[in-house]
Amino acid sequence: MFHWVVRHLRWLARVPGLPHWFDALLVAWTAVAHRPRLAAMEAVEAGALRLAGATLGVHRLGGIGFLVDGAEIGHLHGNGLLDVHLTRERAAELIASGRTQPHHVMPGSGWVSFQLAGSDDAACAIALLDEAAAARVHSRS
Amino acid sequence: MSSTSRPRGLVWFLGMLAMFAVVGLLCGAAALLMFSAGKGAALAFVAYPSFVVAPLLGGVVAAYCWRSLQPTIGQLALQVLYATLAGLVLAAIVMREGAICLLIVSPLLYGLLYTGAALGRVWFRHDPTKLRLAIFPLLALALVGEPLTRSPVQGSVVDEILIHAPPERVWSQVTAFPTIPAPANFWLFRLGLPYPVATTSAGDFVGADRRCIFSAGAVFTERVSELVPREKLTFEIIGLPNDPELIGHLTPHRGQFLLRDNHDGTTTLIGTTWYTLHVRPLWYFDAWTQSIFRAVHLRVMDDVRRRAEA
Repeated sequence: MFHWVVRHLRWLARVPGLPHWFDALLVAWTAVAHRPRLAAMEAVEAGALRLAGATLGVHRLGGIGFLVDGAEIGHLHGNGLLDVHLTRERAAELIASGRTQPHHVMPGSGWVSFQLAGSDDAACAIALLDEAAAARVHSRS
Repeated sequence: MSSTSRPRGLVWFLGMLAMFAVVGLLCGAAALLMFSAGKGAALAFVAYPSFVVAPLLGGVVAAYCWRSLQPTIGQLALQVLYATLAGLVLAAIVMREGAICLLIVSPLLYGLLYTGAALGRVWFRHDPTKLRLAIFPLLALALVGEPLTRSPVQGSVVDEILIHAPPERVWSQVTAFPTIPAPANFWLFRLGLPYPVATTSAGDFVGADRRCIFSAGAVFTERVSELVPREKLTFEIIGLPNDPELIGHLTPHRGQFLLRDNHDGTTTLIGTTWYTLHVRPLWYFDAWTQSIFRAVHLRVMDDVRRRAEA
């Protein structure tokens, strides 16, 4: 459903608030039908907030944004899909190793997507965000 | 007493109450504005004028009340779900809304309340002492401005089917028809939304009274305004049934059957309904309206086909 909407109705994302409303419905569906995934999402959020300098934000296309020093390092959609911003080379490495998927909208960029399914995935997701935060700090310095 | 020393359950409850208070107050104020501006006169529309801004703001205010709890995504989703359910029950009691209408509005209400609450959760997490009042004048402007700038928009739904019978055989089935024997397949009909079961007509002439009978005894009264035998039947809808599922939210104006002779023994039957929606946001409610009218059209037109081809 998420991927179908992103593929065919992405133009609607220009309507202010519409992506956030859609994400709210995704969260509701996850809360009702995929409780382990919701638990993993909560664990990722808690883990991300423990990273140095990390804060939460509202992503412009819905979901929770994770920021370090005001720059976005990743965001979590209501269906448990985590998008993380790395370097292009590192993203290609992770995709080649099968640990992550190409970004669901921008394949070939420095973004990767990681689908949370249950609490076992939380540690891996936090590690990705940690790596993105370190890359961000490194590039700034 | 600070909110941190209150029991968690009480804080959740107070946030929910604040959410209802904000939504109720803003919707009431917007309805009053619309009433005084002459753009809406019925109290039945009380909850609709600002159906985007009010729930959003309600969510933000609830998040402010819940800020000491530092809610997780799951907790927020659950609390907003409770609030939505409670809001729907209130709407059913206070505004006498029908169950199907509430079912239709529930994703919108939940999504907007949650969006507001999620926004507030992020804002108030960074600095729980800040109320971020700067956003409120903007929202108030949107709340006031949107109903006043609104103008009625008339929409139409058009459907067509192919019937393997000449126009003269189709025509006799269009002007009036007995009880439709087919079960109601559309999912909202099965859940209780009234659906067409029969139509009676005083005759085949302009000015003739028609009665479109829906399930649960709902009757639309209509008057024929245009009649070209074997080609066109247009009727004005002059009376609506007093059914909570069918009134208040939209006004159906007229309906039309067009018969197009394909000159190969078949006829294309085109059904159209014109209506005005009173509820906003239009993009959301119009999608539902189109879907429902389409189901009504196809139920009637499929029965016309069945009888014409028999």
